[in-house]
Amino acid sequence: MAPKSKKIEISEERTVEIVSVVAHQLKTPISVIKGYLEALMSGDCGKVTPAQKEYLSDALENIKRIFDFIDTLLEVSRIEDKKLSIKLGPVDLGKVTTKVLKNFSHWIEANNCEVVFKKPEKLPKVLTDPVRIYQVVQNFIANAVVYKEGRGRVEIKLKQKGNNVLFICKDNGFGVPKKDFRKIFSKFHRSAKAMNLDPSGSGLGLFINKAVIELNKGKIWFEKNKGKGMTFYFSLPIKKS
Amino acid sequence: MPPKGKKQKVLMIEEDHFLRKIYRNKLTLAGFEFIEAINGMEGLNKVIFEKPNLVLLDLILPRKNGFDVLVGMKKNEKTKNIPVIILSNLGQESDIKRGLSLGAKEYLVKSEISLSGVVEKVKKWAKNK
Repeated sequence: MAPKSKKIEISEERTVEIVSVVAHQLKTPISVIKGYLEALMSGDCGKVTPAQKEYLSDALENIKRIFDFIDTLLEVSRIEDKKLSIKLGPVDLGKVTTKVLKNFSHWIEANNCEVVFKKPEKLPKVLTDPVRIYQVVQNFIANAVVYKEGRGRVEIKLKQKGNNVLFICKDNGFGVPKKDFRKIFSKFHRSAKAMNLDPSGSGLGLFINKAVIELNKGKIWFEKNKGKGMTFYFSLPIKKS
Repeated sequence: MPPKGKKQKVLMIEEDHFLRKIYRNKLTLAGFEFIEAINGMEGLNKVIFEKPNLVLLDLILPRKNGFDVLVGMKKNEKTKNIPVIILSNLGQESDIKRGLSLGAKEYLVKSEISLSGVVEKVKKWAKNK
């Protein structure tokens, strides 16, 4: 007779601890691989041909991807442990959005998508963490660009609403099924269609976005568009002078 | 090019032997004398007896963590002026702040800096006695 499988319950606290230990345990050997690849690439062990250099460079790029994913896991573990730190300062959301779009312009084009954004001339600064809010804006734009069929079109707007600045990201993608609405900001949640289109996604972007915005005393929500796609919003308090 | 005259001594306090190996090669090629310690206790002893020109210090170490090594170095008149570069995988703002406030010259995160980048920092801070 086959042995009965037993479900082991692990507390949330213990999970946070496990993630943190595993992440740090992974980082050391990956740092070693990174170091060896860099040493080979710089010719420490003999001459490197252009083709070898290209392969080494691709390998290093993928090492960076692993590090980024580990950092994301650590970020999630900090969120759950309520230890996510933020460094508040005045931030121009228009500048942040422009920067994200500039840095990702080739990627957006390669994904057959157009992003429309007109930076408002006058917009008060918000009080937030500049590094984390860049990540939030990047996550929203990346989702809007990736999850679509055919040519994509994303509209981004920023406007003042009372004591807040509102960020709006509207896409024409395949949207989120209604049954998944309540899970949209849950960690590791991915709809079947999203999994199919981009199997390498982590399902952590929106979870992190929600945590960052709420830690900044802001709000985050979404709507299904009347036609195709979704619109995601967040609002952040204006920095008082 | 190696620094002229007597070789400058770099002590690396790092548990992982693969990392020590890669830095041993890199820093030796760059003209430094490389010495190493595999835990915090051994590291602190070597700082005192070897008087290196610079210490490359990891934080997660057996027997005495990197922060404690740094505190120990700063308490000792003979070692307090030896420059320390922290080279760690801990990238949290609070760790960086703590390391710098304890007197490290630089705080480098292993995943974010290249081997050559570390060598450049070592060249910058290695102190001639």
